Amino acid sequence: MPLILGIETSCDETAVGIVRDRTLLANVISSSVDEHARFGGVVPEIASRAHLEAMPHVIQRALDEAKVTLKEIDGFAVTAGPGLIGALLVGTSAASGLALALDKPIYGVNHLSAHIAVDALNRKGEIPPAIALLVSGGHSSILQVNDLTNDVKILGSTIDDAAGEAFDKVARIMDLPFPGGPSIDREAKSGDKFAIEFPRGLSSTKDLEDHKFDFSFSGLKTAVARYLAQTPNYLRADVSASFQEAIVDVLLNKALKAAQESGIDNLIIAGGVAANSRLREAATERCEKLGVALHIPTPALCTDNGAMVAALGSLAVEKGLEPSQIGFEVSPQFEGFAPRR
Amino acid sequence: MKILAIDTSTDCTSIALISDGKVLQSARHQDPLAHGETLPKLVANLKSELHDLDLVAVGMGPGPFTGLRSGIAFAQSFALAKGIPWVGVNSLDALAKQFAEPEFIVQVDARRKEVFYSRYKDGKAISAPAVCQLKQLEPLNLPIHIGFPDPIHIAELALHQNINEPIYVRRPDAFPAPKGVKFRPISQLDLVEIAALEIEIFEVDPWSIEQIKSEYAAPGRFYLVAEVAGKVAGYAGIVKRGESGDVLTLAVAPQARRKGIGRELLRRLIDWARTNKCEALMLEVRVGNEEAAPLYQSFGFIEISRRTNYYGAGLDAIVMRKDF
Repeated sequence: MPLILGIETSCDETAVGIVRDRTLLANVISSSVDEHARFGGVVPEIASRAHLEAMPHVIQRALDEAKVTLKEIDGFAVTAGPGLIGALLVGTSAASGLALALDKPIYGVNHLSAHIAVDALNRKGEIPPAIALLVSGGHSSILQVNDLTNDVKILGSTIDDAAGEAFDKVARIMDLPFPGGPSIDREAKSGDKFAIEFPRGLSSTKDLEDHKFDFSFSGLKTAVARYLAQTPNYLRADVSASFQEAIVDVLLNKALKAAQESGIDNLIIAGGVAANSRLREAATERCEKLGVALHIPTPALCTDNGAMVAALGSLAVEKGLEPSQIGFEVSPQFEGFAPRR
Repeated sequence: MKILAIDTSTDCTSIALISDGKVLQSARHQDPLAHGETLPKLVANLKSELHDLDLVAVGMGPGPFTGLRSGIAFAQSFALAKGIPWVGVNSLDALAKQFAEPEFIVQVDARRKEVFYSRYKDGKAISAPAVCQLKQLEPLNLPIHIGFPDPIHIAELALHQNINEPIYVRRPDAFPAPKGVKFRPISQLDLVEIAALEIEIFEVDPWSIEQIKSEYAAPGRFYLVAEVAGKVAGYAGIVKRGESGDVLTLAVAPQARRKGIGRELLRRLIDWARTNKCEALMLEVRVGNEEAAPLYQSFGFIEISRRTNYYGAGLDAIVMRKDF
């Protein structure tokens, strides 16, 4: 029954989670999002400063919440990439300090793997292969996950903006607050999603040949900007709902196509955009129709958090993977999905 | 007293294990981009000696931020897990302990062609850590030392200092543009408002409408105003003379202060100077204008001389300079 503490600092959330086996014991997040809101995006140096300031308190609160002490922890997991390098290093340095002081193993893990691993929490037995749709402010990918710790295939990703980025940018043009995802989601609730026909990127027959499972959201963003410029009395709610529908539609079209073609009938949706209410609603409807089992974490576990990192650490222990070496590589990119050597 | 001392404020990651002033072990590795990976390795090598620690001491900078934070984050959590206290110390003070002249300056790299420095006299710091270009320190005619803080001195200082936060000196690069403020080039229509503000802000020798008019119309000038709710809330001007830029004026209406308008005006003047290939930027600030001097310092201006009676009898000016 390993007890794993996970640390996540790849962007603007300082997060610590504690997991025993596959049971979530604590998930504490301190976010510097309010400080970034004034800039309309995450400022790396501000995020890094906030991580260092928050780290000891977030660790302590997670221990209190889980009602365990550091001495009881059997192993540590920490995001080693991809992410903002200055932000990542605060987390990996803190985690290394804990692991060395207590002489316990440490796993430097992939942020994207962790987003998917969170789905393993509270599930028993063998984890079946799945198609994962990973959508956040920094990533938009479709993955075929045969085994999260050693067999993951990237089927497609965005060729320009990430889905979350598109939400942020469109929100900014309409003067809605950062982060754009929740703002547009809220605004769209009273809008008509069929009011405006926005383009679905990379969906033409020709594009489907070269980019079957890739995304492109930059054209959509331009289409919204053009519409706003040409329509002086536009309705923000209708624009939000129609824009959101265009994104949700193309995300699900491609993810479900991947499920059908690979014959895999599990779909995991993870990452910050998975907290979007329309995406959750549409995914539920469409998966039901196709007989695909939908796995979508609670909204609090979709956005960046420490529980997902701890969950991945716990899976690594479960599978008997070697811990990472002391001083493992930390970098903005992270090739592969297994923990660092 | 057994202390683990760490410093990551320079290109070097250095650690030492010290017991009652005696060095048991020490190690260091030079790599400006690998503090985060190096530090755990160096500490892991001491593993057999890491029992019975009483304290973790760590250099809080100043120094390049990413490496600095790696050391501090590690020290904090290592101490937390060991259940012992950690103490932060000024890394420049530690470096200064290597030198013995009556008066000198120590500096470490601050990236972007600048250095963090402090001045010491009779073994004591007489200036807080600050940042500037190295060549700006030369006119002070003092020995200027560079080096790596020795963790032994970090441990020594830990008995006297206790600094809780990293010594950043610089603010993060990003500043929010002040809300509801519009920045635009000056126009003829602003002259009356500016003249009124001149009288309000500068008690001695305010510019008249005619002066302002001839000033902003003169060649090579760049004047801009900050507008709040349709009214002028601040303005600033700059000119290039020879190879250097000269800040001609920078003023913010009293009721519009503390909103970052002055900072944004200055930032735009600096951008202009950079675009126009100025090698340096000069300005004068009245002695006693406590609000303005720190703003200029935070942008890398340092005092180079004083001018007596510059603003009238008894009103001296500090001349400040920023190099590009």
